[in-house]
Amino acid sequence: MNDPNTSSQESGFLSRRRFISQSAGAGLVLAAPNILKAAEKGGSDKIHVALVGFGKQQEVLFAAMKNIPGLHFQAVCDISDWNRKKGMNQVRAHQGSAPEAYVDIDEMLSAEKGLDVAVVATPDFWHSPHTVKCLEAGLNVYCEKMMSNTIDGARAMVKAAEASGKLCQIGHQRRSNPRYRYTFEQLINGQKIAGQLTNVQAQWNRSLGASQDIGGKKIPKGVQVDEAILNQYGFKDMHQFMNWRLYRDLSGGPISDLGAHQIDIFNWFLEAQPKRLYATAGKAYFKQREHFDNVLCLFDWETKYGEVRGFYQVLTTTSSGGGFWENFMGTEATIKTAEIAATSAIYRESGAPSWDDLVGQGYLKKKPAPPKPAATAGAVASYESAAPEEYDLPGGLPLVTTKDGKVIPKPAHQPHLENFFASVRGQATLNCDARHAFESEAPIFYINESADKQAPIELTEELLSV
Amino acid sequence: MKNKLILTTLTAFTSIALINCGGKDGGDEAGAKSGDATAGSASLGAGTEGGVVLETELPDELIEGTPKPIKLPVAHEDPTAAPQFKVPEGTVLLSKGKPVTSSDDAPIIGSLDLITDGDKEAGEGYYVELLDGLQWVQIDLGKESEIYAIWLWHFHSQKRAYNDVIIQISNDPKFEEGVTTIYNNDYDDSAGLGKGGFAPYAETRFGLLADGKGTKGQYVRLHSAGNTSNEMNHYIEVEVYGK
Repeated sequence: MNDPNTSSQESGFLSRRRFISQSAGAGLVLAAPNILKAAEKGGSDKIHVALVGFGKQQEVLFAAMKNIPGLHFQAVCDISDWNRKKGMNQVRAHQGSAPEAYVDIDEMLSAEKGLDVAVVATPDFWHSPHTVKCLEAGLNVYCEKMMSNTIDGARAMVKAAEASGKLCQIGHQRRSNPRYRYTFEQLINGQKIAGQLTNVQAQWNRSLGASQDIGGKKIPKGVQVDEAILNQYGFKDMHQFMNWRLYRDLSGGPISDLGAHQIDIFNWFLEAQPKRLYATAGKAYFKQREHFDNVLCLFDWETKYGEVRGFYQVLTTTSSGGGFWENFMGTEATIKTAEIAATSAIYRESGAPSWDDLVGQGYLKKKPAPPKPAATAGAVASYESAAPEEYDLPGGLPLVTTKDGKVIPKPAHQPHLENFFASVRGQATLNCDARHAFESEAPIFYINESADKQAPIELTEELLSV
Repeated sequence: MKNKLILTTLTAFTSIALINCGGKDGGDEAGAKSGDATAGSASLGAGTEGGVVLETELPDELIEGTPKPIKLPVAHEDPTAAPQFKVPEGTVLLSKGKPVTSSDDAPIIGSLDLITDGDKEAGEGYYVELLDGLQWVQIDLGKESEIYAIWLWHFHSQKRAYNDVIIQISNDPKFEEGVTTIYNNDYDDSAGLGKGGFAPYAETRFGLLADGKGTKGQYVRLHSAGNTSNEMNHYIEVEVYGK
């Protein structure tokens, strides 16, 4: 189904990146999917969607999908009565008819005819089994990141996608974010604005209030799931069901849950996988949890710029440092990317060529210079570097009109979902197919291991390949 | 509808929230234009002179998921403590366990009785979700009462602001006659119930406390029109205090 020269059949970062840079926004037609064939024969051009899992993350995805025309939500599958009912009613409120509802995905895939797509937003340890089942059933799949809680699970997803010939997009939504794409394609590669990239740094620091166990003091009766069903689907109890991110058998923990988003950007922008990593981690506050509550990791890359070193931290006990962002540091500029515009910026090194032409051509907008700090006692002025000039990083999310006519910023996940559904229609190519998501995620699977062993890990080709 | 607007609101502001300013509709996620509709809006008064400070059991903070940027028409500060507001001695909680009706009689999830069940925790199972667009919930106190305060929690496990929060009191269950609006932050009258003078606010575990001013009525109706995270309407708890 896919063009063998593109998408999931293609391997290697450089070829992928070259393709993306050539095709971004071009809307290439790569295949002739069934959707188009049906429309050509006078059938419906609706894409029939199954929502697999309807927890918090699927709610976020569904809110974005509601803005995408041409989707019909045919089925909802979740083992929780509460989640399933919420999904059914949200779909009913949106499209005027309730979807079919299922507890079990096998039953759904067996009973439902005409499904085109599955959107998988289940706990991480179910991503791979659910995705593989749907691909093998002939569905195109959008699956939340992290691909799996194990690297073998992720490998199975790549193999299933390539064997099925179906599309499999992984939910690293920044890959379709206009600001990130603009930064990578126009500024870093196009204008080579950062000069030689030498270092990267990122963080996701989350406050204690945002890191508590879900479920509160008591779990309401309406939310409870029968114990036999919980056990059947791999959960020991309701605490595991609601807090699967805290358990080692069910997820990769904070470095996977939060860190994967940003380490993916490191690898994407650097067009390489790290050659080694070294992590240190601990349970500074949540001592009873299986996963670390703070993880710090060093990376080494060999890139087209030469050697690059990076540092990543995820902390779940403090929001220090302004939440979550990534820094790409080069000889001529530092680019700070984030999903939130207010946290994004680009800083010109004082010795770099002027950006006046770029401002004139509309590539950048200069921010007003901050007030000069007062001289501090003991400072030796001649040793201090001049403060870099700060510029806005363009490419914010565009506006979207909701069903009831309100104009709001496009939800952060919508561009990535749009890219997926456009690809299903044969009008685009995936921005984050399973193989390339695997290449980017693979190093992340070794971070907890490095912290456990308190030793660096050489990331050989064998470790990082499918 | 005959509305009488009482321009007071009860929120305790002490720390600046990381919230962008902008209009209810439109603007990108970095929008930073101040609206004029709510500039200088009313703030919390002290309440009844010689009264007692109203207290309630506050829920714990529990934030879930990735924060979403939200847009409010004026710079906003989050509370760090419950408001200190005085009500006449002898004021009691009138709404616990009282029946609730709604413009959406088939909630998306949850049930209307959650609104007066006394549980204010964040998270699944503690809230009712109503359809998108302008929706209301209505509490029947059982008899006409003097209402001195209404304490409201929409949804506090994610920082978000609800649109067009309007609180009304009446003896008419249809709210066609004798309606008193005690709180309204619909700064552009998009709900069609009159332009409000109060500033939109971000949800926290401290909730929103509105001054009832001793208004007499049997019914309390609360309106909203979606929020900055999604189009739906949510309620965790509403407490009506009076005599």
